[in-house]
Parts: sequence; structure tokens; C-alpha cells
Amino acid sequence: MKCPRCVQVIHRGAGLCPHCGFGIAEMDGKHGTDNVSLRRLADVAGLMKSRERTKVQAALDDFARRFPQLFFAVYTGSGKGGGNLRQFGFWLLNRAAFEDVPVDRPNEAGILLVIDAETKSASVTWGYLLDPFLTEEDTFLCLSRAHAYWLEGRFAEGTVRMVAQLGKILAKRAAQARRDPERFERKVAPPPKTGEIARRIREGHRQAVPKTTEVMP
Amino acid sequence: MRSLVWILGAGLAAGAVEPPMPSWRDEDRKALEKGELVPGLSLLTEEIPVEVEEDPEVPAPTGEDIATTEQATPEVAERYLEAYFGERPADFLVDPQNLLGSKDARDRQNFLRYHAGDSEIDLFVYLFDGHQVIPSEVREEEVVERFFSTGKPAVVVYYYLGAPEKSDIYLTPSLSDSVPAPEQRRALNSSVEEAMEKPDALSQFEAFCVQLSIRIYWMERAAGLVKDTPAVPVARRVEAPAAKPVESAALIRAKEWGQRYGVPGGIMAGAVLIVAGGLAVARRRARYRFPMFDVAPRLGGSHAAGIGAVISFGSTTQSPSSQRNEVPDYLGF
Repeated sequence: MKCPRCVQVIHRGAGLCPHCGFGIAEMDGKHGTDNVSLRRLADVAGLMKSRERTKVQAALDDFARRFPQLFFAVYTGSGKGGGNLRQFGFWLLNRAAFEDVPVDRPNEAGILLVIDAETKSASVTWGYLLDPFLTEEDTFLCLSRAHAYWLEGRFAEGTVRMVAQLGKILAKRAAQARRDPERFERKVAPPPKTGEIARRIREGHRQAVPKTTEVMP
Repeated sequence: MRSLVWILGAGLAAGAVEPPMPSWRDEDRKALEKGELVPGLSLLTEEIPVEVEEDPEVPAPTGEDIATTEQATPEVAERYLEAYFGERPADFLVDPQNLLGSKDARDRQNFLRYHAGDSEIDLFVYLFDGHQVIPSEVREEEVVERFFSTGKPAVVVYYYLGAPEKSDIYLTPSLSDSVPAPEQRRALNSSVEEAMEKPDALSQFEAFCVQLSIRIYWMERAAGLVKDTPAVPVARRVEAPAAKPVESAALIRAKEWGQRYGVPGGIMAGAVLIVAGGLAVARRRARYRFPMFDVAPRLGGSHAAGIGAVISFGSTTQSPSSQRNEVPDYLGF
């Protein structure tokens, strides 16, 4: 779990980044607090042709069919986020309202791919449901599969490849989670509160002290 | 010393003796004196001196001599007559003079044997040299009647090597009745014409035999010796391609394996295909679900805070790993 701005590891449940103080309020100040209405495939930058968009849409539908809890969304833009794709992806997945996603699949179950045509870069953001099952390395592997296509400007093909690769990884993780769910639960369990531990210790010490009996004259 | 000089001088004088000068003949001198002869005139004029013809030593042949010479036209030597006409020939080519080389004779002989095996009418060829004639005491028709009256019908040809136009044809008595004389002449003429198109004697003889063999085929039909003639060649043509091609050892082994293991192998292959197809369908229909855990929100995000990788695709010369962005944004994304 990393901060989208300083890319430092942060602890679970941190309200703000302990390193740089980043929070969503900062992004709300830039892009607004209102929900953004989107579809799963939002080719705002116009990187794909109509026929290519159909192929990508089919890949997204297939992903949603195989993973009944999840959905995959693609957003392409130019200069969105001021060249800061991590922060923009983090903000968008929290503020987006996907029109073509059933209500039983909240954004917590979403995976968002953001492609910036201006800076020629792409990033992946995912919801809390996938926190135990997905890592930064997984997403890098998926982006690498699409890299060669995107270099040639074949954004649709690269996106389809990436979705397919992500499907393979998630299918493997789902099977592992079915066999050993505790392994993944430990990753997201809330950290023990240090103050509580100290209080228990102190209470234990108090209990260990023998009580003095008053002798009545 | 003086004697030595004298000897040397005498020797030189003796060595310096030249051949005698030409001397005038008396008649030439007289003609010269009369002015009739100019020395060297023969070299200065273009007239060719007429040579005086001398009387031939050999007298010209008389008419009697010429008649005698014509009568001496080379007949077939008497010593060959017995081999030619003494008995029915044992083989189809009769060439006691060995006019053909051994190889050519063998080739023609083989052809005539092949013809005899393929036809109801044999073909006998008496071979003579082109300038030869058959002696008058030999009657060709009689030879044919005497030797070929019995047995398989035959066509007998007297062929003259290098002069096919002199050839003559005779049929055995059993055949001559059914094949009219004009047809015989046409067969002969056709063969002669075929032979005359060839440049050399051997090629002429070969073409003659081949063409005559073809004409004999039609003679067979005319004589009614062949019942169902069209069926014969057709049947043979069908038989040839019907012969099975030689199969390789690997092919035979494969067939044996196929017969032995074909059924169980097919069943196993089918089972494997069914299983593979079933697995593919099952995988396609598979649905993957994740257990849901309580995750505390981070950084104020109510739905998501999973930050994945950022990759740049601006350079075609660098690998994806080298274009992975792990630098904080505020340090200059």
C-alpha cells in the first residue's frame, strides 16, 4: 500500500499519508468533489476507432462475465491529472459513477486503467475488494503485455491484451484464495492498537500486585 | 707448300663445275632463224598450249562388252542361296549375308518376334543388299508356297537394304485368299513410303518393318483372324494402370500399426479430444469469486486506494522495465 503521490509505503487505514500528507481532499480541490458520470470504456482522448472500441468493450464484458464481482474500466485522456496519473486514477475511481456497471458491483470491485496520450503513460488503480489479491507487480506485468502495442499506437489491442493478462492473474489468485483465504485476510487485517496493548499490560501488572489487608484494631 | 696450293686450286676448280648449258635442237634453231619461233613466247601469251592427245592404250568397250557387263549384275551369291531358300527360315529375319550389324540384326529380330507374339500373322523378312538381285532360277512365289503353306499365316517380304522401293511382298496361300492383291500392294507401298522418309538404310528398314506390322494388323481384321479387335488394346491399356504401385516399407508398417492399434488409438484420441474440449469449455464457463474482507479506507478514499504501476510508452528503444515510473510525482514526473 503506497501513497499515490510520494510512492512511499503507508500503513493500513491511514487517513493521510504520514510522509507527504496526501489525501483525497487535495485531489478534490483540483478536480471537484462531485461524482463523475462515466462508462466503463471512456475513450475521451479518441485513441481508438469505433471498431476497435467494440473489441475492447467485448473484452471488458468477458472480464465481467468471468469475475461476477468485478468490473474493468478504461479511461483515456490528454494531460489529465497534470501528468500525475497515480493521483488522478486514485481520485477518479473514488469519484466515478459508472453508468453501465450494475449496482451490485461497486467501485470497491473496480479496476481502472488510465492512459494519458499526452505524457504517453498508463497507470492502474483498483478498489478495496482487490487489495488483498492484487499487487503493484501484477499490474506492471499486465502493463508490460500492452507496452509493445501502445508503442505502435495500437491502444485497443494493447488494452485487450492487458485485460486478458489481468484475467489470468486474478483467476489464479481466486483459486488460491478459495484454498487458503486466511493468507489473504492477514494482508488487510487492521493493525493492533499499541495503546490497547499497553493498557492491558498495565492492567495485568496491577492484578499481579497482592492486595494488602487492613487489620482492624 | 706449292703442291698444297695446287691441290686446293684443283679441288676448287673441280667443285665449281656447273651443269651443262641447254643446247638448241636443230629444228628449233632453224625455226628461230626463220623467225617462226620467239624464245619465251609461250610464257608471255595466255594461250594454253594444246596438248597432243595420245592414243589410249585401253580400247573403248564395244557393245558386246557393255552387254556382257550388264549381264554381270551382282546376283546373290550362290553360296547364300541354300541359306535363303533351302528351307523354311527358323527365324523371322533371314540375313545369311550378315548385311546388318549384330546389334541391328538383334533389334530387328526382337521386333519381328514381338510382332509374331502380338499378331495372328507372322512377318518374315528376307534381307538383300540394295544392288543385289535374286537369281532368276529362284521363284519367290514358289518359295512362299513351299515353305509357308502350313502353319501360322505369314507375310513374306523380300527387302533390299538401301533400296526399299525394290521390296516385294507375298502372303501365304491361306491369307492371300482373304486379303486382296490391291490391299497387299497398298500395305507394301505404305511401308515403302514410310521407309523412304528416313535418311539411312537402317532407319529405312526399321520404319519399313514397323509400318508393315501396322498394316498387318489391318490385314488380320480383313481376314477375320481377330474376333474382337477393339477390345484387345483397350483391355491392355486398362491392365497397365491397374498394377498396384510398390508400397514402401514404412507405409506397410504404418498400415499394420493402423490395423492393430487403429481402433483403440482412435478411441483414446477421441477421449483425449473430448477431455480437452470439456476442459476448455469448463474454463470458459468458470466464474471466479473472491472472499470479501473488511478493508479500512485509506487517504480519504471511500472506494479505492490500490495504487498500481505506472508505465511510460514513449521510447521504442527501452524496455518496459526501464520505462517503469517509480519516482514520486513531486520530484518531477
